[in-house]
Amino acid sequence: MSEGAKTSANGGGFRFKVRGPRDFYGGLALIALAIIAIWASGDLPGTHGFAFGPGTAPRLFAGLLAIVGALVALGGLLFDGPPLDSYAIRGPAWVILAILAFAGMIRGFNLGFVSIPPLGLVPSTFAAFMISIFGSSEMRWIESLIAAAVMTAFCVGLFVYLLQLPFQLWPWY
Amino acid sequence: MSELLANLALGFSVAAHPYNIGFCLLGALVGTLVGVLPGIGTVATVAMLLPITFGLPPVGALIMLAGIYYGAQYGGSTTSVLVNIPGEATSVVTCLDGHQMARQGRAGAALSIAAIGSFFAGCVSTVLVAALGVPLTSIALLFGPAEYFSLMVLGLIFAVVLAKGSVLKAIAMILTGLLLSMVGSDLETGAGRMTFDIAELSDGIGFTNVAMGVFGFAEIIRNLEMSQESRDIVKAKIKGLMPTRQDLIDSSGAIARGTILGSLLGILPGGGAVVASFAAYTFEKRISRTPERFGRGAIEGVAAPESANNAAAQTSFIPLLTLGIPPNAVMALMVGAMTIHGIVPGPQVMTKQPELFWGMIASMWLGNLMLVIINLPLVGVWVSLLRVPYRLLYPSIIVFCCIGIYSINNSPTDVVIAAIFGLVGYWLTKHEFEPAPLVLAFVLGPLMEENLRRAMLIARGDATVFATRPISAGLLAVALFLLVLAALPMIRKRRDEVFVE
Repeated sequence: MSEGAKTSANGGGFRFKVRGPRDFYGGLALIALAIIAIWASGDLPGTHGFAFGPGTAPRLFAGLLAIVGALVALGGLLFDGPPLDSYAIRGPAWVILAILAFAGMIRGFNLGFVSIPPLGLVPSTFAAFMISIFGSSEMRWIESLIAAAVMTAFCVGLFVYLLQLPFQLWPWY
Repeated sequence: MSELLANLALGFSVAAHPYNIGFCLLGALVGTLVGVLPGIGTVATVAMLLPITFGLPPVGALIMLAGIYYGAQYGGSTTSVLVNIPGEATSVVTCLDGHQMARQGRAGAALSIAAIGSFFAGCVSTVLVAALGVPLTSIALLFGPAEYFSLMVLGLIFAVVLAKGSVLKAIAMILTGLLLSMVGSDLETGAGRMTFDIAELSDGIGFTNVAMGVFGFAEIIRNLEMSQESRDIVKAKIKGLMPTRQDLIDSSGAIARGTILGSLLGILPGGGAVVASFAAYTFEKRISRTPERFGRGAIEGVAAPESANNAAAQTSFIPLLTLGIPPNAVMALMVGAMTIHGIVPGPQVMTKQPELFWGMIASMWLGNLMLVIINLPLVGVWVSLLRVPYRLLYPSIIVFCCIGIYSINNSPTDVVIAAIFGLVGYWLTKHEFEPAPLVLAFVLGPLMEENLRRAMLIARGDATVFATRPISAGLLAVALFLLVLAALPMIRKRRDEVFVE
């Protein structure tokens, strides 16, 4: 059906074709998530007498998720489905980079090996806008710079002056 | 009856306060403004605009949020009619005939009839909410932890039934949402759960971060993949804003039927507005003497679903305000907003804060009035907004979201978490998992766990309590029935047929 991946069974050399790779790998990811959750909540006390402990519900739902995930994966193995969709790199990369830039610049950060001081709302907003612009192939420099400036001014006006949120505006104040 | 009138009078005296009218108007305006943007649905709009209400007094904030909600919903319809891009699930059906009308140059009539139908539906359902609020609150007092748990199970099953695609995958999303909601400190013992020793996670994952990530950011990432043409819009001139007398006569029956259907379906927990609009459209088509006109610009095909989804949007406040249970993702956001203002949604709101409760109900009607006032003259403005090229639109949305998330806790970590959930949302759509059930489960998670634990404790560890208490058993039976119904592939096929038409 698809050009999707194949898994080989042990022993006899049978090759199963994954018929619905979207469901198959989606299901596998859910199982992985469930295993992580069970592992992460493993140190929490469980049911004590009649009372649930903090660990009971997470393990309960993680167990259910593992079962449902397995069923989804099994469905993907047995039934025809659409092939895996290709992932775009450019859009997601620049969008995420823009968001991270905003998060890093607004209050500054210190990771030990690299640190930047708090830069405030104005540089952060402007930078996030300009970085995210690169996510589209249709970008134009002059237009983008003007739009970034307008948007920054609008945000400062709306959030700081109109809604009175306590934001630091500039690196020095 | 006189009590009802007295309550409504109290409500209107609160809602008609100049400040509150202002908030309502502003909310409806901003909600429409954002909701009209292609690809941004009601949930995303409300999520994005949530932070701007934080600085307001509680009553004003909720009234403004209600305004935003109606505005966003109407904005979605505008986009459907003008550009054939449904901003959200409820306006998918509006696209069918609405866009055809727009192509025939009758976009004005379509938009006006949508506004008029919505207003009529709003008037009727406001009275219904006011009338049903009190009796339903007394029912709520019969509810113990077991009943609450079962009711939430029912709500989640509704979300499963309404999700497009596989039932199994929707259940998987529910479980994922429940699991994510358990990150952070335990409700009873305060033990950190699944926090991986990250201090920022000890308070749990913020709801807004999840919602903005999987709806807002993921949507942008997805839209960037599409070619420019698929986002393109009708540049045709809109001629004649007002519907003709014949249009009004044709659509009056459809509006009335849509209102009734929508009001009934909206009360059910689990996202009534979507079913309501689909059901109303199908019903209109079935009873029409000329069903072949549907899909070719029949005005009933716009009037019925628009009335229905507005009525349902309104009555979906009933489960929220009386039982404290959000029936859909937007109401879940409302719960988030209430909690931030220190209001615990539920039956006690009506007795302890009557001015809030009735003020909100009255503001629903005002919100609808605002929509008519705003939208009829502003149709031309909305069209011009759609001409902003996407290459400038999406960076603005990103910046707006970033500031919005950051403003909630002044926490850059929240922004990073939202970015992560943006990628998660992108991945989910690639594997055809729907994010809406996940978000609903994420909100209901803590409430569900609390009630589950309490019910089990009261029943001394006996899990059969959910089946032996009559109300709880009834709710679970309905949930099971719905699940079976959804799992039957024949029903699925029929649902897809509605979609294809």
